[in-house]
Amino acid sequence: MQTQPLSQPTLSSHLRALFALIRKDWKQYWRYPLNAVSSIFQPLIWIAPVYFMGQAFSVNGKAIGFSQFSGTTDFMSFILLGTVLESFINAVFWGMGYALKNDMDSGVMESNWLTPIPRLLILVGHSVTNLIVTAITSIGMLLLGGMIFGFNASGDVLKALLPIIPMMLGLYGFGFAFAAVVMLMREANTLVDVSSFLVQIFSGSNFPVNALPRFLLPVALALPLTYGLDSVRAHLIGTKTILPLQWEMVLLIIFMFVMLWIGTATFRSLERRVRTLGTLGQH
Amino acid sequence: MPDFAIEAKQLVKKFPARPGTGDKKANGESSPAPKRKLWLFRKKEPKAMFTAVNGVDLQIERGEIFGLLGPNGAGKSTTIRMLCTLLEPTSGTARVNGFDVVKQANDVRRSLGTVLAGERSIYWKLTGRENLEYFAALYHIPQTVAKKRVDELIERMELKDRANELVEKYSTGMRQRIAIAKALLARPPILLLDEPTLGLDPQAARNLRELIAQLKQEGHTILLTTHYMEEADQLSDRIGIIDTGKVIALDTPEGLKRRIEQKEVIRLEVTGWHDEIGDRIKSISGIENLMSRQQGEADLWEVNMQAHNSRTALPRIVEHISGNGTRLVNMNIVKPSLEDVFIHLTGKALRD
Amino acid sequence: MRSEMNVKSLALPGFPADVQAFWAIVRREWTIFIRYPSWIIALFIWPVIFPMGYILTARALSGMDGSGLTTFQNRTGLTEYVGYIAVGTMIWMWQNIVLWAVGYSLRNEQMRGTLESNWLSPTWRFAYLLGSSIPQMVSMFMLMLVSGLEYAFLFKVDFSGSLWLTLLVILAAIPSVYGLGFAFASVVITLKEANAFVFLVRGIVMIFCGITYPLAMLPNWMQSVSRWLPQTYIIHAMRTAALSTEGFSGITFDLKMMMLFGVAWLAIGYMLFNMMERRARQTGAIGQY
Repeated sequence: MQTQPLSQPTLSSHLRALFALIRKDWKQYWRYPLNAVSSIFQPLIWIAPVYFMGQAFSVNGKAIGFSQFSGTTDFMSFILLGTVLESFINAVFWGMGYALKNDMDSGVMESNWLTPIPRLLILVGHSVTNLIVTAITSIGMLLLGGMIFGFNASGDVLKALLPIIPMMLGLYGFGFAFAAVVMLMREANTLVDVSSFLVQIFSGSNFPVNALPRFLLPVALALPLTYGLDSVRAHLIGTKTILPLQWEMVLLIIFMFVMLWIGTATFRSLERRVRTLGTLGQH
Repeated sequence: MPDFAIEAKQLVKKFPARPGTGDKKANGESSPAPKRKLWLFRKKEPKAMFTAVNGVDLQIERGEIFGLLGPNGAGKSTTIRMLCTLLEPTSGTARVNGFDVVKQANDVRRSLGTVLAGERSIYWKLTGRENLEYFAALYHIPQTVAKKRVDELIERMELKDRANELVEKYSTGMRQRIAIAKALLARPPILLLDEPTLGLDPQAARNLRELIAQLKQEGHTILLTTHYMEEADQLSDRIGIIDTGKVIALDTPEGLKRRIEQKEVIRLEVTGWHDEIGDRIKSISGIENLMSRQQGEADLWEVNMQAHNSRTALPRIVEHISGNGTRLVNMNIVKPSLEDVFIHLTGKALRD
Repeated sequence: MRSEMNVKSLALPGFPADVQAFWAIVRREWTIFIRYPSWIIALFIWPVIFPMGYILTARALSGMDGSGLTTFQNRTGLTEYVGYIAVGTMIWMWQNIVLWAVGYSLRNEQMRGTLESNWLSPTWRFAYLLGSSIPQMVSMFMLMLVSGLEYAFLFKVDFSGSLWLTLLVILAAIPSVYGLGFAFASVVITLKEANAFVFLVRGIVMIFCGITYPLAMLPNWMQSVSRWLPQTYIIHAMRTAALSTEGFSGITFDLKMMMLFGVAWLAIGYMLFNMMERRARQTGAIGQY
């Protein structure tokens, strides 16, 4: 008697697999509820000393000196938007960075790789959940931060979405490559810590990049995230931009394609390496 | 062309060895690391490789239970990993369900249900049911079918009242059952089970073996690896004995035992054993493959040996044992078991 | 039947043995620490990049024409902010590192499986906590030294204060900073989600202790909270000692408060340790993770 297999791959079954991946990550995330709470409160804790420092430089709540660099005296709105980006950078470096390594260390990577779905889909699944969850906690943080420190966004939210899309796609494309690299390292904490921190600083999340000393400015200008954040701020709170908005948009779109390509290629190379050397399941 | 469930031809797997060990074979022999010439003249040294699987041939029939039996480090897990497409062979080919493991990997995965490291292959922060529903989707099982299938398997694995609890609260046996249910989800024609009863208590192991027998009745082909010879003996239609990366014997359990049928196995329990006694006994003609093993902490040793004719050998054996503080506590003449076959073929014990 | 010979123990208890055991713990901890290469980054890079965010933000706040800086100077009486921020953030970094390194020292041993082997020996158990914090103190001291040099020469900060007073402040700060770490070590080993506690404590220090701003900027209720945190006094004393010319009189009050808190936290740390240790002996729960 032959056993009849139940596995029938179609486009919709692939989509269903992706959805199952997302649902699995989602459930797991919310089963550690302290993580979500931490993601909302931690950024606000880090903002507090910046807020009081800003007060020390401000008259009647207006940061006059600051406006010379940024184009706005509303220091806290500037900072809060930057903090939202920081949340995403953190989420990609730490969350995506360790996505594969965690799977490997907890033993589930083998089970996943034994299934007939394309392995890249697993990373896509991780990315989607990461993106959604971070968006939720960031909005929560923004609302709470707005209540505590004051947030005024008078601009067009829909227009602000335009630069956000390629920026996020590019960022998560980078996340793919980073996940592959971290998985191969024995001890990745220091790398993730330092690089995440540096990217947050140089993307201008805490200050307008034109306030940087001359020799550091090129670093900020080389980061595509800088232009993304710059465009969003310009749309929402009317700050001066580094480059004209259309140019920044073009740069972001190029960034998106480049990063998605690098991310996919790096992952494929990792996949090949693992199949040859068999590091799956051992660490 | 006969249609085998699994067919492997000269599968070889080599891994880069750790530096300074030279070329190592799976049996532990090593050629010495090349001497370092003066750095000017040193050519790039070829990377030292460790051969885990050294030319494995397998032909597993549809509907049979095939046991791959061998000690730790023999290459069982590496072979299984190549068959289930987690690892690519260095050379050689393999076909599972008619599909090539390298070129048609996804088709192979769809045809297989695999249980590797049972406990750690599922999500601890999901319930048993959620784990199964998740993997059902990854195996492209249509949604309505999947739901029924998951319920069916939960019932079959006797996990109905705990199915909605997080796996982190399950016992080892329960986790193993979820892992097996996961392997059965897509009703694959072929099952690969890597040391399935390892770490289970005797009752759970017994239940699992019954399940395996049932699965064969239902038409599945099963390849299982183990280093428990009773398990291989009891379950398998055929057994392949693997050692140091090669299959050194392949036959039905009875066929294998018949190989040393003309021999008998003498099993002694002795106190005050010394290795010199063993040497003296070995010198008796017709005695082969003497192995001694201490039983736990006490001064009690189990000594096994194979004899062509126990009747003539026995008096001489007893002679060597008596006296000087050595005492024979018990003696048995037994029919050869699979372990004895293994010892006959390799000169080593199956368990270390 | 062989006769049993009298077995003579090699152990010789007494004060010299305790000192020897203590020194062995210190040596072990130092050796392990050195073997992780990332300490180099911790030593040279973090002290510079961590305050960088705040310093660059302050630079932006000062404005192109320095008008913001004038406001700052009027409010605080200070002429420069780089050293001000660097000192404040250094104290935060110190407490943060101690919470992780000392706070998790017992837990890490437990996870490695070495806690049990250590506790099987006849050494006074609190010595393990004390001993493993010594190398940590040494590395922290080196970090502060390197950081000071980096700021003096790379960033041209004017450390117009006194080196001796600065050292005195560091010494006086040790009891409270490490006392808190000891308290944590005992709590961490019994709690499952200990991370949340570390984040909470270092968050409190970050908000209330004036790491990047003068306390006068805080609303009154927050200022009263700051008075209960030893790090507030450490930061103030360190800034006065390193950056100003006020001398010893400027830090006497801070030193008194630091000693008070130091004694309190050491006592709390010791008490919590004993409670945890007794519980371990009764329930045997410490050996398993």
